[in-house]
Amino acid sequence: MAEFLRISKLTKHFRGLVANEDVDFTLGSGDVRCIIGPNGAGKTTFISMISGHVVPTSGRIAFKGRDITPMSVPGRARLGIGRKFQTPSVFDNLTVAENIELASIGKHAEGADRRARMGEVLQLTRLEAFASKPALTLSHGQRQWLEIGMLLANRAELLLLDEPTAGMSAEETHATAALIKTLAAEFGIAIVIIEHDINFIRDLGAPVTVLHLGRVLMEGDFAAVSENDDVRNVYLGGEWEC
Amino acid sequence: MSNTRPVPPMPRISLRSESAAAIVVFAVLALLPLMMGGYVIYVLPQYLIYGVLAMSLGMLWGYAGILSFGQAAFFALGAYAMGLAMKAGFGAGDGYLGLLAAIVVGAGLAFLVGYFLFSAGVRDIYFVLITLALSIMVQQIAISQSSLTGGFNGMYIPRMDLALGPLGRVSLAHDRAIYYLVLPVTVAIYAGLRRLTRSDFGKVLVGIRENEGRTLSLGFDTSWYKTIAFTISGAVACFAGALYGAHAEFVSPSLASVAFSTEVVIWVAIGGRQSLLGALLGGLGVAALSNYLDGLSPVFWQLILGGIFVAVIIAFKGGIAGALGRLVARKDDAHG
Amino acid sequence: MTHETVFHAILSLAIQGTLITFVYALAALGLAVVFGLIGVINMAHGAMITLGAYFTWACLSAGLPFGLAVLVAVAGVGLVGLIVEHALIRHFYDKPFETLLLTWGLFLILTELIKIAFGSDIRTIPTPLPSAIAFLGFHIPEYEALVALLSAALLGAIGLVFYKTSYGIKIRALTQNREVAGLLGLNVAATYKIVFVAGAMLAGLAGALMSPILSIDPTIGNIYLVRSFFVVIVGGIGQLLGGTLAGSFLIGGSQTIFGAFSSQVIAQTIVFALAIVVLRFRPTGVFKEK
Repeated sequence: MAEFLRISKLTKHFRGLVANEDVDFTLGSGDVRCIIGPNGAGKTTFISMISGHVVPTSGRIAFKGRDITPMSVPGRARLGIGRKFQTPSVFDNLTVAENIELASIGKHAEGADRRARMGEVLQLTRLEAFASKPALTLSHGQRQWLEIGMLLANRAELLLLDEPTAGMSAEETHATAALIKTLAAEFGIAIVIIEHDINFIRDLGAPVTVLHLGRVLMEGDFAAVSENDDVRNVYLGGEWEC
Repeated sequence: MSNTRPVPPMPRISLRSESAAAIVVFAVLALLPLMMGGYVIYVLPQYLIYGVLAMSLGMLWGYAGILSFGQAAFFALGAYAMGLAMKAGFGAGDGYLGLLAAIVVGAGLAFLVGYFLFSAGVRDIYFVLITLALSIMVQQIAISQSSLTGGFNGMYIPRMDLALGPLGRVSLAHDRAIYYLVLPVTVAIYAGLRRLTRSDFGKVLVGIRENEGRTLSLGFDTSWYKTIAFTISGAVACFAGALYGAHAEFVSPSLASVAFSTEVVIWVAIGGRQSLLGALLGGLGVAALSNYLDGLSPVFWQLILGGIFVAVIIAFKGGIAGALGRLVARKDDAHG
Repeated sequence: MTHETVFHAILSLAIQGTLITFVYALAALGLAVVFGLIGVINMAHGAMITLGAYFTWACLSAGLPFGLAVLVAVAGVGLVGLIVEHALIRHFYDKPFETLLLTWGLFLILTELIKIAFGSDIRTIPTPLPSAIAFLGFHIPEYEALVALLSAALLGAIGLVFYKTSYGIKIRALTQNREVAGLLGLNVAATYKIVFVAGAMLAGLAGALMSPILSIDPTIGNIYLVRSFFVVIVGGIGQLLGGTLAGSFLIGGSQTIFGAFSSQVIAQTIVFALAIVVLRFRPTGVFKEK
């Protein structure tokens, strides 16, 4: 069987500046992967090429055995690639329920099926009590969850999460890690996460890909990556700070 | 995860009260010719048609967030289509041909312009100004092609008959007759647009208005949604124009003017852009008021209208319908 | 057709095209400055042009000499711009759509005020320089040539201000990045005000200088709004000098050429249609490098 996500030799140059160079990357269905690296390592550009927001200079992206390199953003979304942006992008003036419903259009027919799915998503993202509140009134952390909830209602099979725990309390961060584990284990959703929070990455226990200057520096589990000298050198003086 | 509670359908106070208000408005309008006659019944269909034109913009601006200054262009095209169809002399079906031609022309032009621009990401102010140019272009073509359109002097349009096949034909020459054609058509268009805005399609339009990037990233080809919304809007505006031509029995290039385009925007802004009934009543009410006050003091009324428009933009984004909706919601809160 | 007549026709088009290019540039400059520098599309631009023309007419009727009338018109429209900016526009700079609607409402109000103050009859202003310059067998109206020259000089002056003076460069920096402008010690609110008022004054100047060429009615500015907008976007927003000039040349030049083969009305329509096509394929302007 073809791999769930297979990326080969993905390269992006912005006016001569290298954002990504020859990145190879594979992911199985239901896999979780963290992408780390110092600022400017090309992390966001990398997932933007997967979601279709950035057109690669060269290379190939195959999703569920299909070459999606030339495909548009909405086309990829319909195939099951969901993107959470660094700054949560939700419908501020609509209620939480309306946000979720909009995301479920086209994936869940109007009526009982859609309402059941919406209920499920609201429960998973702990937003039940806020269903009729405008998204604008949510806390930053809740907005992150709402955006993830929208991707779930949108039936994403691959979630691309750009800094999902930004602006979250320690408790919320922990709950987010638990949510991600649930989504992967129980729903078989594959998840790629860009993160800086080292506790969160440790908590998640998922394999880590380290990007540096647009290239893959190394891949491995958290322990191996955190022991690695190259990785420590990349993070100024061995400090886990970005 | 199967034991989770489904979300109850959301209580939409404003929607329910809008339906009730719509029923009352249409019932009053239906009974009006039984109680009065004369000038009011003669002129009301024209205001209803303006209301339809306003709804064509209300749907586009209020739901999809696309402002068009070109609704008058479509309206004028529809009136000319009706005039040319009546002039063509095909016999009993002329009027129908005019109405049909208007829908085809309006939808066709709007689709071409919409697809051409939206697919390239032309939006906001750029779209506004292009639609403004569209009005100017239609007006200038109408002026210059005088052999076809009568140029500056305009064109007289014989009023259509309602041919009912074997049942014969109903003359619309009588004021009440055309009133009872225009009113149900208005109700039908209101109901149709209402349904559209509450459908999944309408919800996606709202998504585009609120956050187009997010909507795109959820898998919706937003440029197609916008193109279709504009196409429907153009078809409705053009159809309204054909009805106007039939009712007014006259069309001139001023129907495509910047001034008239602007009026449509003002009706919708004042009536309430996010309520189709608000737009309809905005068109009907402001046009009627304009007509009345224009007779008293044309210049000052236009000035006041401009002032009201600015005030609406600054303080009452939802127009009258929005303000009433808030009032109703507050009252319900107090009771519940 | 002989070679001479062909040459003569081309030269005639070139002269017409040059004159119209600079007139359009003059009309568009105010819009270009406000749109390009502070991102406000001033829908009242056309009405401000009209107002400039009427102020000039009023001053001339009151017996002032033409030059003074122009200055009064510029100051008058500038004052209107200042009042409007202070009362309304400054509260909506971060909401482009609201400013669009507001300035449109302003357009309505100004147009009606013009009707109240000056009536709806067409007014004409006699050309201050009635003679013509003989040039290669052509007679170029002296006044139109002067307007073209003034327009060119104005473009040059604005170029000097925005590209050579430190204040102008800072204002351009403001367009790029508001926070940086704050660091440069620029008072953002005051700068926005100055730019908006400058745009209004330029519109007033355009109306004043064009008034002897036009027959003035309260809606004369409408067409200049759309035309100026196309000039600015075809040339490229923010390309103050080159953009305005190139856009004017393309819009005015093509109108001259089409006008030679058909009526002015048709030419105008074709040019608008072409401008829309250009906008679709080059939304950042014809010459702007992506």
